[in-house]
Amino acid sequence: MDQNNSLPPYAQGLASPQGAMTPGIPIFSPMMPYGTGLTPQPIQNSNSLSILEEQQRQQQQQQQQQQQQQQQQQQQQAAVAAVQQSASQQATQGASGQTPQLFHSQTLTTAPLPGTTPLYPSPMTPMTPITPATPASESSGIVPQLQNIVSTVNLGCKLDLKTIALRARNAEYNPKRFAAVIMRIREPRTTALIFSSGKMVCTGAKSEEQSRLAARKYARVVQKLGFPAKFLDFKIQNMVGSCDVKFPIRLEGLVLTHQQFSSYEPELFPGLIYRMIKPRIVLLIFVSGKVVLTGAKVRAEIYEAFENIYPILKGFRKTT
Amino acid sequence: MPGGGRCPGCGSSELVEDSHYSQSQLVCSDCGCVVTEGVLTTTFTDEGNLREVTYSRSTGKNEQVSRSQQRGLCRVRDLCRVLQLPPAFEDTAVAYYQQAYQHSGIRAARLQKKEVLVGCCVLITCRQRNWPLTMGTICTLLYADLDVFSGTYMQMVKLLGLDVPSLCLVDLVKTYCSSFKLFEASPSVPAKYVEDKDKMLSRTLQLVELADETWLVTGRHPLPVITAATFLAWQSLRPSDRLPCSLARFCKLANVDLPYPASSRLQELLAVLLRMAEQLAWLQVLKLDKRSVVKHIGDLLQHRHTLVRKAFRDGTAEMDTQEKELQGQEQGQGQGQGPSEEDVGSSPSDLPAGKRPASPALLLPPCMLKPPKRVCPTPPVSTVTGDENISDSEIEQYLRTPQEVRDFQRAQAAGQAAMNVPNPP
Repeated sequence: MDQNNSLPPYAQGLASPQGAMTPGIPIFSPMMPYGTGLTPQPIQNSNSLSILEEQQRQQQQQQQQQQQQQQQQQQQQAAVAAVQQSASQQATQGASGQTPQLFHSQTLTTAPLPGTTPLYPSPMTPMTPITPATPASESSGIVPQLQNIVSTVNLGCKLDLKTIALRARNAEYNPKRFAAVIMRIREPRTTALIFSSGKMVCTGAKSEEQSRLAARKYARVVQKLGFPAKFLDFKIQNMVGSCDVKFPIRLEGLVLTHQQFSSYEPELFPGLIYRMIKPRIVLLIFVSGKVVLTGAKVRAEIYEAFENIYPILKGFRKTT
Repeated sequence: MPGGGRCPGCGSSELVEDSHYSQSQLVCSDCGCVVTEGVLTTTFTDEGNLREVTYSRSTGKNEQVSRSQQRGLCRVRDLCRVLQLPPAFEDTAVAYYQQAYQHSGIRAARLQKKEVLVGCCVLITCRQRNWPLTMGTICTLLYADLDVFSGTYMQMVKLLGLDVPSLCLVDLVKTYCSSFKLFEASPSVPAKYVEDKDKMLSRTLQLVELADETWLVTGRHPLPVITAATFLAWQSLRPSDRLPCSLARFCKLANVDLPYPASSRLQELLAVLLRMAEQLAWLQVLKLDKRSVVKHIGDLLQHRHTLVRKAFRDGTAEMDTQEKELQGQEQGQGQGQGPSEEDVGSSPSDLPAGKRPASPALLLPPCMLKPPKRVCPTPPVSTVTGDENISDSEIEQYLRTPQEVRDFQRAQAAGQAAMNVPNPP
């Protein structure tokens, strides 16, 4: 992107666009056009949440209505049918790629469409309880792979970085550039930053257990160098995962419908930055369908975030 | 000059604006008393005489505005004027700068960041009013680094919670194309290279729309695509004279910088056009290549919607169903088209099976069509628990032997000594 610094500056920007004050609908946005030419309105986060709360309330109301109707007809089948109706209601709501999946609600369900509820419960359908706690979700079948884990640990004693750099083979120390020793071990292949206060950062592991093992090995090395190192407060600070949905994504469309969460600046970065609120994960979505998820403290957050984003991405699959 | 002031000496109101050399003075015409003496020695009494006072001694309501903020606001206004923006933009940009300055993180930032912040405010204002301004332009005007600009811009958008729409491609095409100096003959631009602005603009817009449809715009910087499209549009309007001209020469003629990715965008666009040309039977027999397809861009653009649908298939669809559907489509189109599509429609249905148009290619972004640079092997499932025993020998391999330590210390000392030896006089 460095070469783009030399892009035409004056020639491009100074000519006044014709009819600048009368914005037309842009040709290239496949989705609904953004409200053009209006005074800028900063986002009110409370507004978006209240809209979603309303949607949830509407969903619940519809579920209740459906349940009441069914219970009037048949008692026993009502229990099963109501669950299926509410589940399918959520399916039709969730299937539209435009509702932002803020809360970790149920994703697409495999319940039959409304209007095809069986009159008698078939032996295959389980007698699920009325409250749809965890309906069967149609998972994407793709599992994000963990690529990097960052963890910290406190060795509990002051360290002399010069000694460590002198007596360890795998250490580098350049106090003018950075105030820590950079140490590397081969198995698991990781890098550690060891500070004179005794705190250590371990990066590069592919799983939580590997990160813990690597941190322990670094602590052992420091121990063998003569310091009374302990292993206190080991904590995973960040986890990065990546996966591929295997279809191209219209990033311009995604930023239009999910503008509160997305940031897409092709002049700066080719990917779209999606800041999911629940779970609090940042996703980098690229046009090739590759997704990078970061900011997680536990593995489940990465999986949850991907399950939340997958239906949204599928919604943009067939757009020209 | 009647201004309501009175001479403190004689009380007359006959004050005259006079200047002593270059210093402006207010003098009483009756007694000659100098009432005020310009900005160098103003005091509160001067202000009482309704003369101008230095800002720092005034009783202005904006005492909260610091010097650096004033400078920034002034810069915002200057930048808006340099870019010749409508007057309404200036006020919005100034408001954004003031809003940003409320945050302590911005107030305590370095001057470099504050200068870049000026550009961010102007950019956000332009984006929200659909004025096509690229970040490259602003960075060049501010002599700023794009990395610094991008960091400050993202921070500002997040801090103020702003909703910034995407760059409007149509407007960008119009302004950018208008800046090409090809619409009038000049000593550097021969007559055969001069082109009509409207024709070039409309053709460029069609080409950019085609690029957007075929995944050449998503995820990329918009400007190189537009440069490539403008070049193709210009070439295709008079191919016989303009085919020998290269992209670099074209940009030099038009007095526009050539962005580095433009040549690869050009190749991608030509590849798309070639695929579309394969669907037209009379072009199929010509066996076009990347140079000769330029002559037929006009025809290809006229039928671009149909051709794209026929030439490409959805990257995720099944191959069998799509091919059958396309064959059916061709025959159906051969009969049901209007006069403009006659030549397109009639030929495919008459051709024997051997001369059928090429089977559709995948409509995917170029990054998905290229083979992966390196195949990432799936990592083996690790059975590490994190609590294994760590053998001493494994740790020993990371420690230096005493001999190594001595050697290393000696080498370090020698290196230090070599550095400390003073240069001979």
